[in-house]
Amino acid sequence: MEREFYSDFPLVLNYVARLMDDIDGAAAVTCAAFRQIADGLRHRPAGEGIRRADVLRAATELSRQSLRPRRWFRRRPTPQVILEGFPQAEARRALRRDTVQRALSALPFEARAMILLRDFVKLSYDELAEVVDVPPKKLVHALDRSRAEFGEIYDYIKF
Amino acid sequence: MTTSSFERNRCTRISPSAVLDDRLDGKDLEWARDHLRRCEACRERVEDFREMLLRVGRLPSAAVGPAAMDEAFALSIPDRLRAGVGSRSYDIAPAQPMPTVPVAADLSSPLRPEVTSVPDLLTELEREIFRDEPVQDHPTRLSPMPEPLYSTMTEPDEIEPVRPAEPVQPLSFYEPAPTEPEPIEDVVEPELAAPTQPEAFPIPLREVPVDSHREVEPDDWAAQPEHEEWTRQPEPVDAEPSRWDRLAAVTSERPVDQEPVLPINEESEVATPIAPKKPDTAMRIAVGLGAAACVLLAAVLYEGGWLSKVVTGGATGTKVAATASIRPSATVRPSATVRASPPPSPSPTAAPAAPVLFTLGNGVGGGTVFRIRPGTAVAGYTRLVFDIRGSGLPTMIITKPDDLHVGVTFQNTTAAGVPVNGIHSYQVAGIEPAVQQGADGSITIDLARPVRVTAFTLAATGSYAWRLVVDLHTS
Repeated sequence: MEREFYSDFPLVLNYVARLMDDIDGAAAVTCAAFRQIADGLRHRPAGEGIRRADVLRAATELSRQSLRPRRWFRRRPTPQVILEGFPQAEARRALRRDTVQRALSALPFEARAMILLRDFVKLSYDELAEVVDVPPKKLVHALDRSRAEFGEIYDYIKF
Repeated sequence: MTTSSFERNRCTRISPSAVLDDRLDGKDLEWARDHLRRCEACRERVEDFREMLLRVGRLPSAAVGPAAMDEAFALSIPDRLRAGVGSRSYDIAPAQPMPTVPVAADLSSPLRPEVTSVPDLLTELEREIFRDEPVQDHPTRLSPMPEPLYSTMTEPDEIEPVRPAEPVQPLSFYEPAPTEPEPIEDVVEPELAAPTQPEAFPIPLREVPVDSHREVEPDDWAAQPEHEEWTRQPEPVDAEPSRWDRLAAVTSERPVDQEPVLPINEESEVATPIAPKKPDTAMRIAVGLGAAACVLLAAVLYEGGWLSKVVTGGATGTKVAATASIRPSATVRPSATVRASPPPSPSPTAAPAAPVLFTLGNGVGGGTVFRIRPGTAVAGYTRLVFDIRGSGLPTMIITKPDDLHVGVTFQNTTAAGVPVNGIHSYQVAGIEPAVQQGADGSITIDLARPVRVTAFTLAATGSYAWRLVVDLHTS
């Protein structure tokens, strides 16, 4: 578990930061996702560790909940986790100035998650289908639509 | 995998994602290759998608330091799952621009503690619940003292003391919302070990029984002879006012909807006498009326434009009349007598109160203003173009009688009959119909707000006539 955590955590953290377009709030969501999966290990057979697809699925769902607009009577503080030395200032600036990231943040959540999981995290189609809960046969069309929309937005804002 | 739809007359038979992600095989792959060889549009789309894919794939990753990783590990993995894992046993590689994570297939078996090792499952579950949702969903803050959860059990000594679930838990994690109400104070029973000794006062105090939980009984209050006491109060016969009179004066000023005064017992004689209050209702009414009168007066002055007229320079009755003659309002149309007998000097000199902003033109007479075109109408300014038919530009005088009107006088030019309807903008409320005063034509622009006026002329060229351009800038 330790090795899996240390190998997957940076990738999931960067994925969540891109997905939420918020590098400061990504640490809390990522830690919560790992914690959720680790807590669920007690109900699984022995010998099973943290699966990256499970963590990404939990992180995606937590990011969706975090980005979901809340009504005023349900407004709750965003949990914040302050990790030592993260994020660096230049990473925060780079995320803000990145044109690709700006185009990604203009996409709908589902399309953004799909593009990031496929092209940034490099998930396979099976893993991607498991994470985004879309049948593998429909993934090609969903990715086509998402990438086409992403391309239009990028072409619009690149200059 | 292909699609058979056309989008804006562009071939979209090929799914670029299917091509780029190698999702085609067999006949589909052959057909796609053949189609891509022939279809330029599909080739471009595939190339565009490939660029998008590479752009996303080349996104840089933020580096996570070893200290941050350790901290995140302590925060993420519960204690029981990382029992025995003191610290990292290997170094963390720096973040790569293209992160690739190998599938951990040959890793050692993860730590999985047995459930029986937990002393009490309920305690553990409760600890987990309160640790995950510390304040947000829990109305009251947990008491720092371990509560006697098993007070009814026979052997409470076997319960392990509650340890903090997460030793490394920053305080900024799950901060309570500032908008949420303050949590109820901790319900901690005071210690009954040693009762505190009452403080000794030099003067013996009387004991006054106070029952704050006594409910008010309306029947008892109704039975109180309150009015009788008041009615029994005789008129002051002596000059010396008594304390009871002051108290009665205070109670008489009490509003009706207040709670009834507690009955005054004999102990209240020694209470501090209440300072008598003067009724200030009249003063409040006077102040309110005065404020309302001031607001009303200011509104009347503002709406009447008297303030601006006074400021623009000594408006007398004749000046106001002269301005009114040259600037007919929309409601008061110029009468026939005005047209039949125009003022002796219809030139701008007839309205000395209106400051002249610009005098433009070449003095050519005999022209006709035949059209007013609203040009650019944006939030910054509105451009009005006056088209003049004739051999040249007449003398045009632009005046500004007040902040909400701009007058344009065309000397020796006919302006009557020029269409003025439908010209509105952020700066222009409307244009009044042109008034022909002798040989001069006058057009008044009603402004929606104070503006800064600029104007220039344009010579006739091509299909364009002689033009006067007036720009009304938002000041």
